[in-house]
Amino acid sequence: MKLTNYNPFGLTRADLNDWFQHPLAGFPSLSRFFSMDSPLGRLAADVHEDKDNFYASFEVPGVKKEDVKVELNDRLLSVTVTKKDKSGEQESSYTSTRSISVPESVKADAISAKIEDGILTVTLPKGEDRKGRSIEIA
Amino acid sequence: MNTCTTSACAPATTSSTPATEHLVKPRYDVRSSKDAYEVRVELPGVRKGDVKLDFERGLLTLKAQRQSTAQEGWQTLHRELNRLNYGLQLRVNAPVDQVAFTAKLEDGVLTVTLPVKEAAKPRTIEIG
Repeated sequence: MKLTNYNPFGLTRADLNDWFQHPLAGFPSLSRFFSMDSPLGRLAADVHEDKDNFYASFEVPGVKKEDVKVELNDRLLSVTVTKKDKSGEQESSYTSTRSISVPESVKADAISAKIEDGILTVTLPKGEDRKGRSIEIA
Repeated sequence: MNTCTTSACAPATTSSTPATEHLVKPRYDVRSSKDAYEVRVELPGVRKGDVKLDFERGLLTLKAQRQSTAQEGWQTLHRELNRLNYGLQLRVNAPVDQVAFTAKLEDGVLTVTLPVKEAAKPRTIEIG
């Protein structure tokens, strides 16, 4: 059995799939976990805002909510993902963390998070002084 | 991703993909058991309706679109998760059933199960 890439869309980088040629077939290679272009190596993130909230989104494909920890320490929002991988008898797990700093005026006790389609979205409600106020002129 | 304009590295088939379409190859892995091969493809942010999967003549072709994480009315402060088109094509040189394959998308991971043809499975022969 051999799966070979077919030069699909004009990609020139040879990408030989050699899981079938060695006894550890099926294990993701270690380089997957350390490569810089790997989304799980770095947990790629977006940050958006609207009038009421900041929103931080992270790529977490195949991760269940119980494997994610979201923490706010001072002004640092940290997301830690532990991914377990079971292949036959062997189990491996690895952890990846990404931190982003958030503006001071976030209501820390009202932060919420959800995972949908492999994207974790953390909603950080803005504190009063970030919402902007219109000041009446007496 | 290399882009190349000479004919030396053109796709092997004449593809109907417009030249402007930039496809990103998703990460994937393949596992096998005696009953099936399983291809798992990471497609974070892709919704169920935005995946197209074909399997014919031993060629598994996947295309999927991912939308932006921003919802209406959000301003972007920092962006790493772009809207993009995923594309992956694998040639399957294995005795699998080209009709009975199944696919499910869960938590941003697409799992494609390709059952091994009955005739290709190892058999134990009873000695009478």
